Amino acid sequence: MKRLLAVGLLALAFPAAASAHATLRYTTPKFGTEVQSSPKTIVFHFDQVVKALPGFVEVLNDKGKDYGGAVRVSGLDMIADVKPLPRGAYTVRWRAISADSHVVSGVWTFGYGVKAPSVMDAYGAGGPTVAEHIVRWIWFLSLALTIGALGLRLICLRGLDVPRRLDRRISVAAGIGVVVALETGIAAFSLRAEDALQLPIGRFLYGDLSPIAATAFGQAFIIMTLGFAVVLALIFFAWLLDRTIFLVPAFLMSLGFVSGLSLSGHDAVDPGSYWATKLADYVHLAAASLWIGGLATLALLVWREAPDLRRPVFHRFSNLATVSIALVLAAGIYLAIVRLPHLHDLWSTGYGQVLLVKIVLVLVVLAWGGFHKLIVGPALERGVSSDGVLARIGRSLIGESVVAAAVLLVAAVLVDSRPPVQPIKAPPTRAAVKR
Amino acid sequence: MKPHAEMVHWMFATGLLLLGLTLLAEAVVGQEVWRKRRWRTYLWPGLAFGMGVLMWPVMAFFTNSAIHMYAHGSWAEVLMLAGGAELGLVHGRLTSRWWRLTMPIAFVVTGTAFLVHEQNTWYFARSAFLHHLLGWTFLGAAVIPLALVFRPRAMGVQSAFALTFVVLAAMLYCDRDVAPVFGHLSPLAGIPHR
Repeated sequence: MKRLLAVGLLALAFPAAASAHATLRYTTPKFGTEVQSSPKTIVFHFDQVVKALPGFVEVLNDKGKDYGGAVRVSGLDMIADVKPLPRGAYTVRWRAISADSHVVSGVWTFGYGVKAPSVMDAYGAGGPTVAEHIVRWIWFLSLALTIGALGLRLICLRGLDVPRRLDRRISVAAGIGVVVALETGIAAFSLRAEDALQLPIGRFLYGDLSPIAATAFGQAFIIMTLGFAVVLALIFFAWLLDRTIFLVPAFLMSLGFVSGLSLSGHDAVDPGSYWATKLADYVHLAAASLWIGGLATLALLVWREAPDLRRPVFHRFSNLATVSIALVLAAGIYLAIVRLPHLHDLWSTGYGQVLLVKIVLVLVVLAWGGFHKLIVGPALERGVSSDGVLARIGRSLIGESVVAAAVLLVAAVLVDSRPPVQPIKAPPTRAAVKR
Repeated sequence: MKPHAEMVHWMFATGLLLLGLTLLAEAVVGQEVWRKRRWRTYLWPGLAFGMGVLMWPVMAFFTNSAIHMYAHGSWAEVLMLAGGAELGLVHGRLTSRWWRLTMPIAFVVTGTAFLVHEQNTWYFARSAFLHHLLGWTFLGAAVIPLALVFRPRAMGVQSAFALTFVVLAAMLYCDRDVAPVFGHLSPLAGIPHR
């Protein structure tokens, strides 16, 4: 234990011996711009003096051919010569030796005569991994918990005599959802950046994330982080002061800021996307979050904490779920038609196959929900009140929630997958070449 | 247009100074007098919580490296946690004194994050020197809020706790992006801009 402590203190005392670093301030050409003539040099301006070695700047086309030349340093600038470029999209991967021999790295893209591709599609990027699927799934779950818990409290429990204990637990559940959403947002951004940068962890920590922050996903991450930090504060005040009124802006903000995921997904950035696909994706996500999160809150909190409220809340939630499911289905069917114009795409493409799995799981949840609405609801109305039956209904609600959570897992994989390329009038040039 | 890092440091230095002065006032007049006006008990915990909320934009906008992002994110979280726990205690929503452990934990996390994310040597530039100093001050001073968990009414410990924030604020006010420290400035650091 003492040795561990000593090692920890030494690591804190002498970090600089291993890794001083410089920060890239700006580049010429700028990140993600389209230039009209082949640049003869690429300039990297740092906040500190750096050293450079041959091969530290690669200018790669979409086939991986390197057009980078000699690299030199002038003041705070690192300047790389560039061979004459054919028109196309280019990825710039750079390294520089900072103070105390530490290497800083980064990646960005530009286009010569064509639109610059996203840095996520930089040459060499490998695409989403299993870790990214899982992180995105947890992100979806946490957002659903937040939106569902707040929605259930404000819509289904409105006007009822809600026990304080239940009220506080709903606030705590929503707060936990926000904290996890913030954490998984950071993790998702880091994983996406790590994929674009293609660096080992030690160098990734000091890699320049600015170009990734400038992408649609990066902007969504920033806006969602800021929004959900305020949501967390509002939920905290609702819990602290026992004032449900704070949950109203928290709920509306959650519903609004969850759009960040839609505005940075395939339906917003891929060729062929337009305002209707963005709106449909947002409606799909928001309605699904309200439904699944509300269901989990009903099963895990209301059913246990407030037996007297089970019947009225069940009926109210049943109506809310019906509306939510209708929106989810309408938006989902529209998006499926847009993304997969041919029926055979469902089984002949990877994206279609994942979508098929999702459809099957959704059908299971719908059947389960239908059983609750058409069989359990009327039974409760008739006055079924034995503890055994009510406990079984509670377990059945939990079961439905678990399958719904599985739907979100498949949705996470689907979001990270690329739909089949749509035929469009002017196909854009992409630098992306999967390894 | 992002402000210079040093300006963000000054904003948070102002927050820390207000926090320290509020705590100092409480220590000087004593808790009984201080708590005669209920709103006063919410002052410093509310300030800490608010600084935590305001730290999120710093995390989100300053993404020049992952380690910077993680450091600022951890500060945002521990500030909200420690401030929120103290708000819960003064409002009566929380009752266990062990919630006060969130403050020494916040000090340790903050100090560690300062040391880990500052990768230049002590004498590289003024900001590097101050980051090291701030990190070690936070780590060393963590014993003060830890003592307050067990001796919440000890005036000496309360005063030390308040003065710690004043000292930390002074350090952050001294921060400059590129400036010498005791006449030292690494030739690799660039041109002083102030």
